[in-house]
Amino acid sequence: MSDAAVPKQKDMSEPMLGALLLLPAVLLLLLVVVYPIGTLFWTSLHSVDNANPQAGEQWVGIANYLRAFDDDRFWHATLQTVIYIVVTVPGALVVGLGLALLANQPFRIQWPVRLSLLLPWALPLVFAGLIFRWFFEYQTGIVNDLLARIGVEPLGWLSDPTLATIAICIAIIWKASSFMALMLLAGLQTIPKSLYEAAEVDGASKWQQFVEITLPMLRPSIFVALIFRTITAIQTFDIPYAMTGGGPGDATETLAMYIHKSTLDFLDFGYGSALAALMFLFSMVATSGYLRYTRRSSGRGAEE
Amino acid sequence: MNFNFSRRTTVWLAAIIVMVNGFFPAVWILLTSLKTETELIRSPITYLPEAATLENYMTAFTAQPIGRFLLNSVVVAGLSTALCVLISALAAYALTRLRMPHRNLIMSLLLAISMFPLISLMVPLFKVMRELGLLNTYLALILPYAVLSLPVCTLVMASFFQDIPPDLEAAAMVDGCSRVGALFKVVVPLAAPGVFTAGILAFVNAWDEFLLALTMMNRVNMRTLSVGITLYQGEFAFPWPLISAALIIALVPICIIIAVFQERVVGGLTAGGVKG
Amino acid sequence: MKLSKWLLTATLAVAFAGSAWAQQTTLRIFTGGQQRPDVMRKIADEYSKRNPAVKVEIEVGGATSEAQQQYLSTVLSSKDSALDLVLIDVIRPAQWAAQGWAEPLDAYLGADKAKLLPTYLKAYADANQVNGKLMALPYFADSQFLYYRKDLLEKYKRPVPKTWDEMMETAKLIMDGEKSPQLQGFSTAGAPIEGTVCTYLVPLWGAGGEMTKDGKLNLDTPQARQPFQLYGRMKQAGVLPRNIAEIATDRIRIDFQAGNVIFAMTWGYVWNRAENDADSKVKGKVGVAKLPHDVGGSSATCIGGWQVAVSAFSKNKQEAVKFARYLSSPEVSKMQAIMASHIPVFPSVYKDPEVLKANPWFADALPVVESAKSRPVSPQYPQVSDAVRGSMNAYLAGTKTTDAALADMKNKLAPIYK
Repeated sequence: MSDAAVPKQKDMSEPMLGALLLLPAVLLLLLVVVYPIGTLFWTSLHSVDNANPQAGEQWVGIANYLRAFDDDRFWHATLQTVIYIVVTVPGALVVGLGLALLANQPFRIQWPVRLSLLLPWALPLVFAGLIFRWFFEYQTGIVNDLLARIGVEPLGWLSDPTLATIAICIAIIWKASSFMALMLLAGLQTIPKSLYEAAEVDGASKWQQFVEITLPMLRPSIFVALIFRTITAIQTFDIPYAMTGGGPGDATETLAMYIHKSTLDFLDFGYGSALAALMFLFSMVATSGYLRYTRRSSGRGAEE
Repeated sequence: MNFNFSRRTTVWLAAIIVMVNGFFPAVWILLTSLKTETELIRSPITYLPEAATLENYMTAFTAQPIGRFLLNSVVVAGLSTALCVLISALAAYALTRLRMPHRNLIMSLLLAISMFPLISLMVPLFKVMRELGLLNTYLALILPYAVLSLPVCTLVMASFFQDIPPDLEAAAMVDGCSRVGALFKVVVPLAAPGVFTAGILAFVNAWDEFLLALTMMNRVNMRTLSVGITLYQGEFAFPWPLISAALIIALVPICIIIAVFQERVVGGLTAGGVKG
Repeated sequence: MKLSKWLLTATLAVAFAGSAWAQQTTLRIFTGGQQRPDVMRKIADEYSKRNPAVKVEIEVGGATSEAQQQYLSTVLSSKDSALDLVLIDVIRPAQWAAQGWAEPLDAYLGADKAKLLPTYLKAYADANQVNGKLMALPYFADSQFLYYRKDLLEKYKRPVPKTWDEMMETAKLIMDGEKSPQLQGFSTAGAPIEGTVCTYLVPLWGAGGEMTKDGKLNLDTPQARQPFQLYGRMKQAGVLPRNIAEIATDRIRIDFQAGNVIFAMTWGYVWNRAENDADSKVKGKVGVAKLPHDVGGSSATCIGGWQVAVSAFSKNKQEAVKFARYLSSPEVSKMQAIMASHIPVFPSVYKDPEVLKANPWFADALPVVESAKSRPVSPQYPQVSDAVRGSMNAYLAGTKTTDAALADMKNKLAPIYK
């Protein structure tokens, strides 16, 4: 059996074999996403008058996209999303890297540390949001209780746009740093100890070791973690949804929340789809930036 | 002597920081699950339960079939993780260790998939699953969940596969292994930390997911935990002690799985370290 | 002879049972977790006992009205036939009619319609008709009530307030007298949730205002500013809780039940919890009355409650309508009132001695429910709701002034009422 298989495999060209190995992924993607995404674009070019939906879908061309440009709420939600990205992506990276380095210390018993590293992430998003809402609640929240103990007046964390944004960012960083730490910890584990031993012999300080060995060796892991954190940050939904519901007013509403509202509450499928397509465009721009950067900087690894 | 002491202090400090950060909300949930609702709404708030009770756990088990939810989640998350890791391993191998044209393009396309917000795909996806007759079956969640984590798993494994020296693989093939055989006998074991990281990612993604699970499974006995827990909620009331108890029940199995997988991340590393 | 007669009967019985078996229909009804699926189970079992050919499956969905609608939007936009009946919120019939999700019931009821409708509370008969078509049947009623502390009003010898100003005055008087920092004068929903729409509408109506007039937006009136100004004054007087913009429905109950609220505007479920919960500090002290109004206006409240709609995609519409009629009958209304304290949709049931024994406060509730009005009826109600609650919430949080909040609301509503 294996005798028969080996020569056959050898005959197969690498691109052929590669295509074969990619096939299951492609098939699954076709079924589960490519068709729905096609429908999404098609829907974004149509509109239904919800005052009279029985009239059916009308072809409107790019009208839904044009409407977005005049929609203050869309721009506000986009801006708010950008704030969450700019604050929480680096925030989660720094906190996550710190946690990964701490967790990489030589503990005698590993699992409690590892577990605590991953618990934030294992807590379903919706409930993480609800718990943080509770922590920041005016009357029965821990945060105000602790503030009161040091003599600070209670703050309306969830009813002030700035404070609410801060509270949401804290919750997101807490949740996301766990994912970051997991990715980076796996990367840390692959750095050979011998490198540090050699540096130690050369008299390099801990900080020098970190900058000269750890960071460069971690680059692929950091890169993967950053891409996915950014994509997830663009789609920020559950935590602000649970914590403030977008309030006060629409102040803390994200783009994903607005899409959700337009589609499933307002039943404006055409407009919701157009917003989703725009969001996809933003994601593409952001990630292609990353891709270009890594291709240039870690060219050796990626190209050959 | 002095160095030793500071070293131990560092380690302890590290442990405390990481554990406080990670355990704090979980411990808070645990404490809440032992409280009564009366105690919860008191102001000023109490930290430790005044009269700990297990009643919430009893209610959690009797009010909803939480055992069944648990089983469903384990089946769905387990199978989708296995499927996702397998498919991603093949794809990652093709993209990193074979001469493929347009590798970067394929990689970018794969990434692009994960950029579509799931919420806007819900209606078409529901239609696909209905046409296939998969609603209220495990496959209705296993397939999309495998796709959900496919990009991240492929990228994670690709970044690990890249670092494996080609001669190790060549040596295996000289020993009579096929290319695919070499993938599973040499590359995957050497990249074990990456494979298990991918596994954990896929598992937790599936375990947490809410919107799809709500939409694809509408029979009570097919609900998964993340949806099931919300069934304890009322239109107005949010019974925190009861929901906390349900959350703890949901957290226990995932903690066990993470602990076991984490062990393998370390185990795989030591095995790799010997060879490297 | 006897034997053959027996045989004949037996054969007939078998044949009948067989045909009943063949015609067995299973109806699937969707309900939210909070509308007491356990009680619906009992009601459905009673129905199956009388109609052995019909089995009822109950699907329990999301907790809040919105979570349910989001799920139903997905399922019904795909024209899925799995559901036969759905319990829908009173704010939805217009949307369901426009989307073509609910089967109009007129043809099924025929001449019965004219006889049936006057038996309901008028507000419910109206709320379920869209452009003259009957879209759903009322299952149970609800509305917002003014809850007050009987004991505190007696202690300070104050009558139940009729106007908002009286209420503020009384609240202030009691707060000054009690000197408890925890005590709130008046609490209502202020978070960005559906209930906050009523927080705006009730004072608007109480001042004689209306949001729409002849299908056109009617917010350029002085009354439209009234709710903002009222809450502004309450805030200044310290009568509202400081975190009003965070307050969601159940928080009001919790605070009221803990004895920390003098007046509250909220839904019907609070009375039973406040009077029956073991931890309630206000047992025997709960009063229910009509909501206050302004001088010159009259008291009004927001209608709530749940309706049974038949899905337009159901494959068993005939049977589904029959079951819907059973669910919307005085008999079931009474069962619900006794088992779940659900407020009846038939005036006659309020006077039933068994019902009153289980819910003595229903006597006070009837005049309030009779003063209930519909929130603006629109096929795009979710947008309307979003605009109103967003502005009200932003105003209560202090991030928008009356002018800004009102202008924002008008901007969002303009495309809907063009």
